[in-house]
Amino acid sequence: MKTDTNFFSRLYNSKDQLWTLIWITGILSLGIWDMVFLNKPAFNKVITGFFNTFTIAFIVAVFTLFLGWMITIALNFTERMKNRVPFLMLMFFLNIIRSVPQIVGVLIAYVIIAQAATRGTFKSGFTIFPAMGIAMSLFIVIELVDLMRERIDHFKKLDFYNAMRVCGISESRIINFHILWKNSRLHIFNKLISIFGSAVFLQCSVDFIISVGLSSDVNSVMLPSTLGSLLAKIDSKQDILAIGSIFTNPSYITNLFTLHLQGITVAFLIVFSLYCVYAISNGFAERHRL
Amino acid sequence: MERRYSISVSSSGRKLVSVSQYPVYQNEITFLFGESGIGKSVLSKALYGLLDPDGLDIIINNKTYGHHCNDEWTKSIRANSFFVFQEPSSHLNPLLTIREQLNEGSLEGADDSEILRYLWQTSGDESVRKLIDLYPKPYRPSGGEKQRILLAMAFKRINALINNAPVNEPSYFVFDEPTGSLDNRYRNLFLSLLFAKFAARPFTIQIITHDYSIISEIYRSHQRLVNRVHFKELTRVKGGTVAVNDFTPEDYLKWLETPYNQNKGMFKKNVVLSLDPHFSIFGKKHTVYDDKQHTQVAPLVIKRGDIAYVKAPSGVGKTTLAKIIMGIYKADSFSMNLSGIKLNEKSSQNIWARKIWGTRAGMVFQHADESLNLQATVKETFDGLPGKKLNNVLLKNKLSELFDGTVTDDFLRKKVAYLSGGQKQRLNILRTLVPAPHLIILDEPLNGLDFKSVRKVLDLLEEKCATGSALLMISHNEEIFEHFVTEECIYYLS
Amino acid sequence: MKNKLLEHLYGIVFVTSILIAVLLLFNSNRKNETSSRNVELNALLDMPISNINDAFQQALAEDAMNIFYPGKKQHNDSLFSELIQLKKARYTTKLQRAHVAQSLSFEKLVSLSGMYLNFIFAYIIVMLLTYYGVQTLALWRFIRHRNTIDQISSSHNSGRSVKSILAAIPVKLFKIIAYGVLFSPAYVLAYSIRTEFNTDSTFFMILLGVLSNGLLITYSNKFYTFLKIEYHRGYVESALVKNLACSWKTDVPSGIPLGALLHPRKRFKGHVLDHIYRNAHMQYIATIKEQASFLITGLIIIEMALNIHGHLTYEMLRQILYKNYDIVIVIILGIFYAVKATDIVTDYLMHRERLKYEN
Repeated sequence: MKTDTNFFSRLYNSKDQLWTLIWITGILSLGIWDMVFLNKPAFNKVITGFFNTFTIAFIVAVFTLFLGWMITIALNFTERMKNRVPFLMLMFFLNIIRSVPQIVGVLIAYVIIAQAATRGTFKSGFTIFPAMGIAMSLFIVIELVDLMRERIDHFKKLDFYNAMRVCGISESRIINFHILWKNSRLHIFNKLISIFGSAVFLQCSVDFIISVGLSSDVNSVMLPSTLGSLLAKIDSKQDILAIGSIFTNPSYITNLFTLHLQGITVAFLIVFSLYCVYAISNGFAERHRL
Repeated sequence: MERRYSISVSSSGRKLVSVSQYPVYQNEITFLFGESGIGKSVLSKALYGLLDPDGLDIIINNKTYGHHCNDEWTKSIRANSFFVFQEPSSHLNPLLTIREQLNEGSLEGADDSEILRYLWQTSGDESVRKLIDLYPKPYRPSGGEKQRILLAMAFKRINALINNAPVNEPSYFVFDEPTGSLDNRYRNLFLSLLFAKFAARPFTIQIITHDYSIISEIYRSHQRLVNRVHFKELTRVKGGTVAVNDFTPEDYLKWLETPYNQNKGMFKKNVVLSLDPHFSIFGKKHTVYDDKQHTQVAPLVIKRGDIAYVKAPSGVGKTTLAKIIMGIYKADSFSMNLSGIKLNEKSSQNIWARKIWGTRAGMVFQHADESLNLQATVKETFDGLPGKKLNNVLLKNKLSELFDGTVTDDFLRKKVAYLSGGQKQRLNILRTLVPAPHLIILDEPLNGLDFKSVRKVLDLLEEKCATGSALLMISHNEEIFEHFVTEECIYYLS
Repeated sequence: MKNKLLEHLYGIVFVTSILIAVLLLFNSNRKNETSSRNVELNALLDMPISNINDAFQQALAEDAMNIFYPGKKQHNDSLFSELIQLKKARYTTKLQRAHVAQSLSFEKLVSLSGMYLNFIFAYIIVMLLTYYGVQTLALWRFIRHRNTIDQISSSHNSGRSVKSILAAIPVKLFKIIAYGVLFSPAYVLAYSIRTEFNTDSTFFMILLGVLSNGLLITYSNKFYTFLKIEYHRGYVESALVKNLACSWKTDVPSGIPLGALLHPRKRFKGHVLDHIYRNAHMQYIATIKEQASFLITGLIIIEMALNIHGHLTYEMLRQILYKNYDIVIVIILGIFYAVKATDIVTDYLMHRERLKYEN
């Protein structure tokens, strides 16, 4: 099988880079289209929703990395201790979190955050972002911990670990530098890409649910507007419902891209971004043979 | 008749291996030596049509890989030959019994009882039959038994070829490190059977190996076939380009006659290790003897400047013993004094971590690929070792003891993954030697080395002894180590 | 297995105890709601003001307070203002909750049980369908991948020309659209067709469960990766040199029959794929726990976001809205049991599979 070396072939073969380019191009093209056909207030709402959604997802990824690394090291340390209680307790609580469906955990956490925001707990609007990110990462972090522990276990089974230990290299250097940093950072980064995707999905779903089902109880105004809450708004919902009409009236399809642009834009941003993040993650794994 | 191939394998424009004159001597025997990772297996697999072309550019005699796989010669050899792979553990499916795997595809229907009885040296079928009803697991059957299972598959195909195929039918039996997990007894049995079959009806055999002691065995036991045997060595020319050169067996045989000198150092010969001769682990009892006949039980005692060698058949527990000494395995019972510290089965692993690893004792593991961090640079491999931090100048001096030419800063920055197999093994040895522990255990230290590197490593180990280090060697390469170690320092494990 | 089972049981007991404690705490708080935290206000709660919005009645009551507690006008004013606010809040809550307040009665539990069974039914069906779909899709993709490699390695002009890239665009576009559907969150997909189809049925919930939220595609991709990894294992090389069939075409005798590919119990006797599939399948079983958790999240989203009345998690959403937290806790407990039951079943299946290959 021949592998070409020119720029386009390389790009075609490096699927993660190709899909990153497609994602950025797609969003920019949509932005230009919306600038022309979507009214300014709606356009601003979409931009704010997009920015907020992806900022929170980014915070989730960063905090998950931090928390995941800490938990993994703690598990590794406590596992070797003579007293097994701390390790078993930690594992037990992680298994409990694992048993709570992510959506339920995040939904309840968001209800609490919204109520705290109503009581004025968050001094500025921006402090609510980290709170939401941290809350979500608590229910996602298990995925990263599992991966990191799997990597450590894999290398511990090989001579790799013992060969370094008997040379006098410290355990923390072997775990942190040799295993996690040198041999697993690509795996970890790839997992963070998919965690970023999961965060976008959960964020949109929870906000959609809150806006549709809990709007009178949870003051959704207190939570930042995201693509999910934007989609739940009546005008966006009408736009999505309009898609169904093309089954009976195919010529109506052109109106979707002009008259029903807000909802279509929001739905497209969610689906397109989720797909691109998935393709980037797969491409990255393929390119680095993870 | 000789067929020559030009083979090139590259990935994303990077040449992995390329050779212009790769020989296949039809109906003759070829031994192919060369350091590990140089491309011996890849070239043979490419020729046999076994490489996965996904992501690779493979050109053979200026034709695409697909064309090579579909030409008459390749189709013919694939129909009636066999390829015995190295690492027998990974080449058996863990979800099928060995019996199922011995009787599938083109092996189906052929009788294997005679072959199995011969390879296991048993007159009855019972023990072998029990074995072949197992699902292969990492530790059961043993590595040597798995290796013999793969050899049995090859012999089934050899029998089929001898019995059914016309004499001029092309064949290509490749044995990739076929004796890597076998001790000398089983290795010699395998060679005898193979050569007996060859004598009955010649066919093409290519044996890829690092075991230079095979040369002595051929000259000793199969003299009559020497004129049908080709000894070749793969050497690196530049980058991924390699060349096939003649290997002169006499060089090796002469070297074996040159004595090694020990005990040159001027220092007090304190005891570094004294291990009680009886120990047990995993429910099995082991004993150390100082004679071949296993009549004299003796503690394993190693003094400064000594090189000791532990001999035992494959699977008896040589590596296990090393790991007990290093505190990696917890024995059921054992007792030793290591450089002034008394240790037994009740000792906590923390003692090894705090007082022994890297300072009183160090160990070189047998597989460099597994022992080194392939993603780290050469420099990073030496970071974090106990003792004074090595600056670039000091490190380059240390490295130059085993690496040819001047070691440059670029070399220090090179990823370990990009080094050849032999270079990795030398790095693996140096990492343990650099902190200069009192006792150095070396498990198969010559793994993956070409003949030139073998000599270099042994010279360096000899120098280390002269500075007062005590060495403990573990290897199934008995011929070389019996030559290297004095008789009184050889111990036998049962 | 015994240890695993014990760990699950401890988890179940622990979470059940915690949630029951929360439930009891909530019920006792609800009872205590009637007694105000402020003792002073508490004493005034029974002060007869028939219409709290009437300024005259308010002034009368305030005067009465100043007569009873003379010389504390400022304190009385603030206390009275708090009293009015509290009374107003209670009145509003009473009005709001008049039709929605529910307690955890036996009838409610029976009604929740029906919803729970419906949820579990949908969950099991979706799980079975995805179990089949994941493997079939992944195998199909893997076989196509191997075919493409065989074709490219046999072809003279083996490079990917611009022409071939262009020719692949329509197929790619179709794939992107299909992926778009498979990646849509359930609510986007459901709202898109809601005007034409009734999306509130259990059947539609099952369909969305399988197709949307990225479940099928994520796990078929995972299985495909397992297949690709297994293809490079040593035992496949051994199978190849034993001349097991290795054509990846579906229409030749040495290839893979379509029937075997579509069959729920997949066996490819005499083909190297049989070796690869067995090992990939073993790894896939280990991911079922994770897949089940993903699926439950998906089903919850479907029920909540589509406001499917009479369904378990929509009911949970309603009860959060109406602040009937005891009912919410019972529903959460039910979902937790479903996850735990899946964990136990998966661990048992893994254990059984491993036992099969023990010596």
